[in-house]
Amino acid sequence: MTSQVLPDDDAATGAIRELFGAAAVPARITYGCNRECSVDVSEPEFALAIPYLASRKFVLIGLFCVERFRERAGHSLLYVFERKGSLLILVRNITDARATSIATIFPSATWPERECRDGFGIEFDGAFDTRRLLLHESYPAGFHPLEKSFSNTPITTTTINAADEYPFRKVTGEGVYQVPVGPVHAGIIEPGHFRFSVIGETVFNLEIRLFYTHRGIEKLAEGKDPRDCLKIAEAVSGDESVANATGFSMAVERLSGITVPDRAWYLRTILCESERICSHLGDLAGMLTDVAFPLGASQFAVLREELVRENERLTGSRFMRGMLCIGGVNRDISADALAEFRDFLVQFRKQCKVGLSIVLSTPSVIDRFSQTGIIKKPLLRPLNITGPAARASGGAVDVRVNHPYGIYDRFSPAPHFLRDGDVLARFTVKAAEIMDSLDLINRVIDAMPDGAITSDEPIREGCALALVESARGQNLCWVWVQEGKISRYKVRTASYCNWLAIEHAVPGNIIADFPVINKSLNLSYAGTDL
Amino acid sequence: MVNAFSCLLKKKVTETRPLPEDEIEQLGKEIKQEIDTRFGRSLAIRELDAGSDNAAEIEINNLSNAFYDVERFGITFVASPRHADILLVTGAVTHNMETAVRKTCDAMPSPKFVVAVGDDACDGGIYAGTYAVFGGADTILPVDLKIPGNPPTPTQILTGLLALMRAAGKKS
Repeated sequence: MTSQVLPDDDAATGAIRELFGAAAVPARITYGCNRECSVDVSEPEFALAIPYLASRKFVLIGLFCVERFRERAGHSLLYVFERKGSLLILVRNITDARATSIATIFPSATWPERECRDGFGIEFDGAFDTRRLLLHESYPAGFHPLEKSFSNTPITTTTINAADEYPFRKVTGEGVYQVPVGPVHAGIIEPGHFRFSVIGETVFNLEIRLFYTHRGIEKLAEGKDPRDCLKIAEAVSGDESVANATGFSMAVERLSGITVPDRAWYLRTILCESERICSHLGDLAGMLTDVAFPLGASQFAVLREELVRENERLTGSRFMRGMLCIGGVNRDISADALAEFRDFLVQFRKQCKVGLSIVLSTPSVIDRFSQTGIIKKPLLRPLNITGPAARASGGAVDVRVNHPYGIYDRFSPAPHFLRDGDVLARFTVKAAEIMDSLDLINRVIDAMPDGAITSDEPIREGCALALVESARGQNLCWVWVQEGKISRYKVRTASYCNWLAIEHAVPGNIIADFPVINKSLNLSYAGTDL
Repeated sequence: MVNAFSCLLKKKVTETRPLPEDEIEQLGKEIKQEIDTRFGRSLAIRELDAGSDNAAEIEINNLSNAFYDVERFGITFVASPRHADILLVTGAVTHNMETAVRKTCDAMPSPKFVVAVGDDACDGGIYAGTYAVFGGADTILPVDLKIPGNPPTPTQILTGLLALMRAAGKKS
């Protein structure tokens, strides 16, 4: 792992100095390759640090548990904080699988704490929500799949008694009734349960319950050769295959000190941006379907299919799967193919504009989009809302800008921020980002260097953090390799964060607007449930 | 009023279908023939995600875009299993989805067909033998046909459906 000394104005280093004194810098800090600064803290120090970090507007972007970390028995909890492009990891080594909860100070810790409880059996004192998360009722009590002592084998599930059923929040009062929806929905979408409490037609409260597609991705990677895990990273979420494969390989490359050749990064960037365009086009089409405007919807669906076919021509897979490898990319794309792709994009761009002008000049669409499903800006930091959803609510967050990786320092996307935070704002931001990604791809193709597409440097031991901007926002990936095998693969997708936003965006709207609000956020169930 | 008139008189926004593709057209014609003779001109499909990574869902959704537009062959995707002839199952069946998967299949009227779409639904794929899944769809449902792929393309899904109907035709 390479380390570098940072200037003193780095927010994370500054926080450590103020909290633990000047002597702690740089003595106790380990700088990672993502410029993240990592510190082991004792319990009293942790208790001191949490309110301080909250007051200094740090955002909790990740919380996960690792077993037998730093050559000690027991569990370590890693808290990843972000502020102004600087990253801070607090490593909290706990004993007896007990820890205090920080969910009342950092609400974005609520789900991760429940996840650590299911996965490792860690009890959080003072937690306000101790219901199961990953493992639904049919899993036996005391079963914690992520513990090292459990080898990944089929288990026997139990039958669910009525008394064990998941307790939803109770909303009572005159005229309040509940509408349960899911896990199997009416359309061709993934499973999840929505519990609406409704007065008349207006939603008064929405509670979501997910993790129906929990397939044990993190455990699956354990003990495998990192090269074999790209397939697993791609399976986190189908429409984020490239983003998650990029995050995973980046983490392994960082912990091994592998330098990825320039050409490989240029090609990866084209794939990442192409995936973003595909995803956004699908969202635009979906939003228009949900407000009954099929003319616009089919325009974007056609464009999406055209691009998917181009992707297949370039990479051999409609989802661009199997392209990435540790150290680069698996197959080169010829100059002719790239030139053809660029020509295709010229026409494609024109068609996108035609589609957008039809939509944005249709009053019935604007009427449904505007003032629907508002996500207010003060929610962004506590819930770590990310991606286009945050940018449509005035949040200046984009991993490509805040923590540039690969060649994004040279090919930075133009930022698009809107303040309204409604469906229209998210539609507009996504439309602008499509145009932006098209430009970016053009610039990358123009500057494409020659040379190798993969590096043959070996994979070493260690751990590293990687952040990537998927179509939905910030994806966090943490990989720990020991003796050439994956010891822990933690992935936290943007959907995992943004799902909590929907519980705040929907109340006050009518149930009939739920689909369009849901689609405007376009959250991946698979990427959340893992 | 002026707007209504101008809409009537204006040039209509119609486009030719993107690329008439022989393969899809031929496949569609054969599918339509089967549907017309065996399913009373309409084949109702209910899709069920039993633990997929959403790639298969995307491809099944793509069957409805203007390139494939399978509704013209008589295929409709229905909201309720009670209206369905075929259940398309994607993903390895997870423990968390078990009850929902069983209930969905039970809600379908007979005769019914179950089709597993994608490697994970066929045999558990990369999840086979792990704690969170039962395995392929056939571990808890009577599967009539498996369409492998990671994920299978829309054309492969259509080819699979045609094979299913032909096989059903031979049995009856």
